[in-house]
Amino acid sequence: MADVSKLAPGQKVLMQGNEAIARGALEAGVSLAAAYPGNPSSEILQTLADSARSAGIYVEWSTNEKVALESAAAASYAGLRGMASMKQNGVNVAQDFICNLTISGTKGGLVLVTCDDPSGVSSTNEQDARFIARVACLPLLEPATPAECLKLTKLAFELSEQIGNLVVLRGLARLSHTRAGVTPGPLPEAKPRPHWDPNERWFTIPVVPRHQVMLDKLAQAGELIAAAGVNYYDGPVRPELLVIASGSSRLYADEARRLVGAGGRVGILHMGATWPLDQELILEHLARADKILFAEEVDPHIESGVKSIYAQHVRELGLKDFYGQETGHKPPIGELSPSRVAAAMADILGLPWQETDPAYLAKAKAAQALVAPRQVGFCPGCPHRASYWSMKQVLSADGREGIVSGDIGCYTMGVLPTGYERVNAVHCMGSGPGIASGLGKLRSQGFEQPVISVVGDSTFFHAALPALVNARWNNSDYVLVVLDNSATAMTGFQPHPGTGSTAMGQAGTAVDVEQICAGLGLPYTVLDPYDLEATQEALYDALQIGGGLRVLIFRRTCALVQNKRGGHPWRMSVDPQLCRGEDCGCDRFCTRVFRCPGLVFDQATGKTVLDEVVCVGCGVCAQICPAGAIKARPKEATA
Amino acid sequence: MVPPAASPAPQPTGLERLLAEVINPGLCVACGACLGLCPHLIFLDGQVAAPDACGLTSGRCYGFCPVAQRDVSRESQGPIGPVLGAWQGRATSKDLQGRVQYGGVVSELLALALDQSMVREAVVTAAGLRGTPQGIRVTERTGVLGAAGSVYAGGGALSSLNQALSEDSNHPLAVVGLPCQVQAVQAMKAHPQQPQAARRIHLVIGLFCTMNLPWRGLRKLLARHGVQAPLSRADFPPPPAGIFQAWSNGSYHELPLDQVRALSYPGCAGCPDLTSDGADLSVGACEGKPGWNTILARTHAGAGLLELAAGKGLLELEPAQPASMEHLTQAASDKRKRATAWSEERRHG
Repeated sequence: MADVSKLAPGQKVLMQGNEAIARGALEAGVSLAAAYPGNPSSEILQTLADSARSAGIYVEWSTNEKVALESAAAASYAGLRGMASMKQNGVNVAQDFICNLTISGTKGGLVLVTCDDPSGVSSTNEQDARFIARVACLPLLEPATPAECLKLTKLAFELSEQIGNLVVLRGLARLSHTRAGVTPGPLPEAKPRPHWDPNERWFTIPVVPRHQVMLDKLAQAGELIAAAGVNYYDGPVRPELLVIASGSSRLYADEARRLVGAGGRVGILHMGATWPLDQELILEHLARADKILFAEEVDPHIESGVKSIYAQHVRELGLKDFYGQETGHKPPIGELSPSRVAAAMADILGLPWQETDPAYLAKAKAAQALVAPRQVGFCPGCPHRASYWSMKQVLSADGREGIVSGDIGCYTMGVLPTGYERVNAVHCMGSGPGIASGLGKLRSQGFEQPVISVVGDSTFFHAALPALVNARWNNSDYVLVVLDNSATAMTGFQPHPGTGSTAMGQAGTAVDVEQICAGLGLPYTVLDPYDLEATQEALYDALQIGGGLRVLIFRRTCALVQNKRGGHPWRMSVDPQLCRGEDCGCDRFCTRVFRCPGLVFDQATGKTVLDEVVCVGCGVCAQICPAGAIKARPKEATA
Repeated sequence: MVPPAASPAPQPTGLERLLAEVINPGLCVACGACLGLCPHLIFLDGQVAAPDACGLTSGRCYGFCPVAQRDVSRESQGPIGPVLGAWQGRATSKDLQGRVQYGGVVSELLALALDQSMVREAVVTAAGLRGTPQGIRVTERTGVLGAAGSVYAGGGALSSLNQALSEDSNHPLAVVGLPCQVQAVQAMKAHPQQPQAARRIHLVIGLFCTMNLPWRGLRKLLARHGVQAPLSRADFPPPPAGIFQAWSNGSYHELPLDQVRALSYPGCAGCPDLTSDGADLSVGACEGKPGWNTILARTHAGAGLLELAAGKGLLELEPAQPASMEHLTQAASDKRKRATAWSEERRHG
């Protein structure tokens, strides 16, 4: 990412929402920023890491989101400003700390950024993380544009320091990665020296009076937000339809009223801050409109809050019609879009609305038939393909209906055909070994199926360790397979404890998976998943042993990382004379079953051919070809 | 009007059917006839598995499978099949004493066939990794002797035969197998997609067999009795011994016969063949004469090899005792009846 500390104040530049949040944090004088990578949030921390040296701040990838927020809170207690950024799932990981932190309070400005992923484009869920504002009584800001990302990030730090509590800034996938014009402001000239006054103590007891303090802080935040002018109205004085919107939905609502030709009839109440809700402003606008539509992603956060305010003031406001999730005008699932909001507006106002010209739609459908269907899949040469291949073969040969408990990373795709649909369950970071631990304790009640838990190297450090200690302690019977590709690959190759490098590019101390296993007293074996025979033999043996937790470390660098480090050793080729094609004895085993994208079945010749552009030369397919037709020769020898 | 009957769709004769009729119901006896032909069927630790669908509706795997192709009645032949000559004999070589099953006749005949270049390569069963029986390919006497002795567990040895037949080579082959494996070899020789089988398989030595054991189950049972794999040899001594004998690491162990019997492949119950009646030569224990074999020469090739071995003084041969042959015929007849009854019961549920 670019070093955003070097941008000239006052000079408008094109910035991603995530970069603008990073710049906003620098302008606010952040001293410590920490995060665990996760799309769509990852670029915030990476931008700060790449700006850290020139800005003179400390930036780290932490082992998980809770640790990231705790590190950032440390800066706050030392009188500095801190920030932790994460994807929506990360808020769950950090929640325990958040719900106590909100009672103990903060000193230096402390901001939590959550980047939510409506439709779950790159997530295991589409959770609306705004819940945390209600649960923990925290102010919540929701920018709609990159420019607002910068502005509201700065406001979040101010607000945090004014009320002495954490402030939440909520981004969305579209906003995180949208680029738009942003005008940076000046960076702070000097920051205080970190110091924790020994007389200052931060804890949560006595709980009840401190709970009251927390509520008072939220009320104070409401007043400050109202004064900040981040919520504003745009439209006729007495609109026929009032849209109350936040985040990207504000832009969708603006576009929708133009699309349906109702510009003069529709007003939009832009909510830049959605907790606490600005009651005075909302009452003022409810009084001027009889029809109210909510536009927000994903949960009815504003909708329920506004209806609650209305319920208290129904006598003075009279009858209103509310349109939103409960009436079906805002879908309860998936992303919003301008056309979805337009369809709702047209329905409410009785206007005609057709999303797409039927003639265009017919052409698009015809074009769609020409596009080959594609599935999400592992990259060519991905060690996970080889690992799941071995698991599939061994579990089938084992014949006891073995279960694979999955986890979060590229290898989550083990649930898909690319991983031979070999994974039976995936939930959140670290839940795989936890579920395996429980299964491994059902032996005495007749559960005889073997159990494998797969975790990536980054996940191993993030959240797997407590589950492993649990399994070791309680003598649970399963095989842990650490899919160690030496990268946090799914989120963009960020370093993790095992790699030994850090966010700022400095050398850290590599934390060794083997030493951790040894420390836990767990037997472990390191294997190369590209060596199918040795991997399968070791996995089979591990399944047969039983009796406790044992570890196999499948270690092979991520194929994409390896490509950057000089590539793989083999030049692959297919001998058409030997290839059996669709005959008995093969039936396109490599392209139909193994399915590496580097191999293509040529319908014309009935043989497999190699896609030399795609193939990286990992050599694994040569081991599965029954005819010896796929050959691996050293690249150097053929160069 | 009665509508004309639709002609039935041709029944698939590939992996899918093999799975449905043999592997999934647990009737596979691990002969290995379906292995080594393609990557879809795998064999690990004594068990056949098919991790993926092969996608074809016909395949050699089904065509070769002795369980799928089983002809239970075999009414055209007597209980012990065609016999040109019945003998009892043993190898004269002191090298073979103690290493072989009974009289060492199989090892000696196979070694001689290789020595004489009657065949250039032979497929036999031997203990592999962790003691798991598996097929191996041997080309000389020492290899044969290394594989001598039986552990009574399925090793999928015909996988090695299929591998040998898939290679671009023409040399003649021998195979030693159980009745199920001999049946499979007959199916291979007759299969239109395997013409090289009839051309290259010149010698089939069949063994007498009442039942075979899955290696995984046997290994676990042995472990429960404190016997560590691999076994160098095992045996079922004739009634009323009631034991299973196992030799491991130079030590001798006895296991209760009923526990071992309970392990046997369910698919063996449907096998009608005690004496490998499709072989060139069939060899088994000689009742009442420990350390000797009963030998049935069934073809001229088999009889010729036996004659050559005797002529060279490698085997000591005597005509089989009528009483012994009577008992063998009765046992073979009983096995066929049991198999017929089992098959009928399965057919009628």
